Amino acid sequence: MKKFIKRLALFCLPILILAYPADLFISNGLRNSTYSDGEIEIWNDLYNGDLQAKHLFYGSSRAWVHFSPAVMEQETGVPFYNLGMDAHNFYMQRLRHEEMLKHNPKPELIVLGLDMGSLEKRPDLYNKNMLLPFMLWNKAIADAALTYKGFTKADFMIPLYRYFGEFEAVKSGLKYYIQPDDRFRYKGYKGRDEEWNSDLDKAKAKIGTYTVNLDSLSVELFEEFLVQTKADSIPVVLVYTPEYIEGQGFVSNRKEIMKMYQDYSEEYDVPFLDYSQDSISYHKEFFYNTMHMNRKGSELFTEKLAKDLIKYELLK
Amino acid sequence: MLFNSLEFVVFFPIVFLVYWYILKNNLRQQNIFLLVASYFFYGCWDWRFLFLLAISTFLCYYGGLKINEASSRSKRKMWMAVSVIVNIGFLGFFKYFNFFIDSFQDFLQLFGLTPHMHTLQIILPVGISFYTFHGLSYVLDIYNEKIEPTRNWVDYSLFVSFFPLLVAGPIERATHLLPQIEKLRTFDYKRATDGLRQILWGLFKKVVIADGCAEYVNQIFDNSADQPGSALALGAVLFAFQIYGDFSGYSDIALGTARLLGFDLLQNFKFPYFSRDIAEFWRRWHISLSSWFRDYLYIPLGGSRGGMAQTIRNTFIIFLVSGFWHGANWTFVAWGGLHALFMMPSIVAKRNRINLEIVAQGKILPSFADVFHITITFLLVVLAWIFFRADTIQHAFSYISGLRDDIFTLPYLSPKTIIYILLVVFMLVVEWIGREGKYALEHFATIKSSLFKWIFYYVILMLIFLLAGGDQVFIYFQF
Repeated sequence: MKKFIKRLALFCLPILILAYPADLFISNGLRNSTYSDGEIEIWNDLYNGDLQAKHLFYGSSRAWVHFSPAVMEQETGVPFYNLGMDAHNFYMQRLRHEEMLKHNPKPELIVLGLDMGSLEKRPDLYNKNMLLPFMLWNKAIADAALTYKGFTKADFMIPLYRYFGEFEAVKSGLKYYIQPDDRFRYKGYKGRDEEWNSDLDKAKAKIGTYTVNLDSLSVELFEEFLVQTKADSIPVVLVYTPEYIEGQGFVSNRKEIMKMYQDYSEEYDVPFLDYSQDSISYHKEFFYNTMHMNRKGSELFTEKLAKDLIKYELLK
Repeated sequence: MLFNSLEFVVFFPIVFLVYWYILKNNLRQQNIFLLVASYFFYGCWDWRFLFLLAISTFLCYYGGLKINEASSRSKRKMWMAVSVIVNIGFLGFFKYFNFFIDSFQDFLQLFGLTPHMHTLQIILPVGISFYTFHGLSYVLDIYNEKIEPTRNWVDYSLFVSFFPLLVAGPIERATHLLPQIEKLRTFDYKRATDGLRQILWGLFKKVVIADGCAEYVNQIFDNSADQPGSALALGAVLFAFQIYGDFSGYSDIALGTARLLGFDLLQNFKFPYFSRDIAEFWRRWHISLSSWFRDYLYIPLGGSRGGMAQTIRNTFIIFLVSGFWHGANWTFVAWGGLHALFMMPSIVAKRNRINLEIVAQGKILPSFADVFHITITFLLVVLAWIFFRADTIQHAFSYISGLRDDIFTLPYLSPKTIIYILLVVFMLVVEWIGREGKYALEHFATIKSSLFKWIFYYVILMLIFLLAGGDQVFIYFQF
């Protein structure tokens, strides 16, 4: 029995010894890769305190592909960074905000892109692998991510465990040491050179209309965010970016949601710029689906936004 | 709690250490502890079904005692019938109630009747088919006077609920397992290392081969109408390896785990895809189930003693029942029926017991004739698997008819799929080399070089770590 335990321990020893260094090695490579559509790039810049901008865009995929920091810089002369996170609602956006505050100087402006689902909360942790290189022993990420289906506590506690079965992630991490990736996004933004697709038609055919169900915790966090940023003297601007007009009937309680944003704007004295009825929203050629503008549309929109921010004296 | 979960990685070492270190030399305490651990293991799925397990256990235990005590043959028969009917009743209710209601409604609709019969929201208790068959074999063996009933409630309960085999077999026999439970077990280094090796190989087959193939297979079967024939063919072939990796992998882990605790369970698989005919396939696939049906159904029905017609009838009966045992869907019955059909040529020609020895025994490579027969048998098995995997009979037929279109066009293969195909080949090579053992790596015990062995184990561990497929539950848990 002793011999068995001894031999088994000896066999396991290299695994136990190497687990943490291997985790560091893979994670370091992965941090510098374009894995997960460049979402890791954003987290990496954020954790390295390397945003190089005090003017930030927040939001979901609509923020990610709608706000062009390059155009903004050109129009205003102020550096911007886009922290939009694909497919995530405010619940995860807030995590990114909290982590940003820990590792970066206080922002001078936050432009928060809203959409119909901002205050919903999805059950699954979409694109969960974007967190892989940052999550070991990270309580803030664990607290947020464990409210979704995706990871278990062990993923946050045991070195290497979360890479189990993640061949593509490990490969991307190791590839960095042989042939590093070029950056996928520019300051968090990725213009999409795409033409109109049939996403809306498919969704309409599948579910007809969709009713937004607000998540009470997300609503609470959103209000808390508005209060806290005010207390910290961080100006916030709420922006509803253009949305293709024919798709606006898809959400059945759209009016209530828009009114709610308007009410927040008044209650917390936060500017709200609504571009959902802007002329861009009437032109299909600026969109690749009802929710998302292509590069052409997003650059035109950012130009408009820059002018409005200047016009309303919202830029410091 | 799955064998391939972190929970089990914590659970089992605790059980192992308490069992061998604290309770060593105390058989009674060891058995009580294993019983508690088994109930805990099962309760992790759904604690409510612990009561069902306990009731089923009690019924067979009590039934066994009553059969033994019965003063007349009719009373023996009555107690046997009560035990069998109640146990089959549980199984029938939980597994087949809705199926019978639905099928009855469909049948009435043939005559233009549209009855509104209610089905129930029934959750299938994990492993019910397996532990019911454990209990039935015990009762029937007592009735047939093959064994004496045990008077130790703990020993019998452990026989039914021993956690390595509780949820997906192998389906043990009281004649084989009970004596091991009743005898003091001592730790054996060779047996324990053998157990670990078998667990490692089982994990590889389950986590890498089965779960890896599942991604491609699910994609093909779920969208079969849009796939070219070649992709459908590959999907069916990979399903054959998925289900083999899944079930034989599970069995290897179960056997290895039991071995670490000093038990030898029944071998459930003997490299079935190296079979040269369907009869041989069934001597090598899910052996504990096919031998159960042979002993408790085929032979009592008369087996092959009453002439050709009776043999054919009995063969069809056990295959159809075996198919139905797998699940409440006509696809499983069709799968069983197809296998019975495939058996017919060898039964009629009385050549169903010609391939009893291991293929190419003592040789490195098989002969051309062996390769030919193995290939034909494998293709027949794959054809039948289409019914097993399909959602409905219609789905299976449309899948098969789709095989005719673009069968020679190379299907799109992602780099990941290519890797899994190469790993299937790797598995087949390792299993071919180890085909004379009880499991693929058994002969590693005779390899002198520890360095080679350890490197091999680390490589397997690395493959498991990197290429574990998505979270797929064991297919046979649903049965």
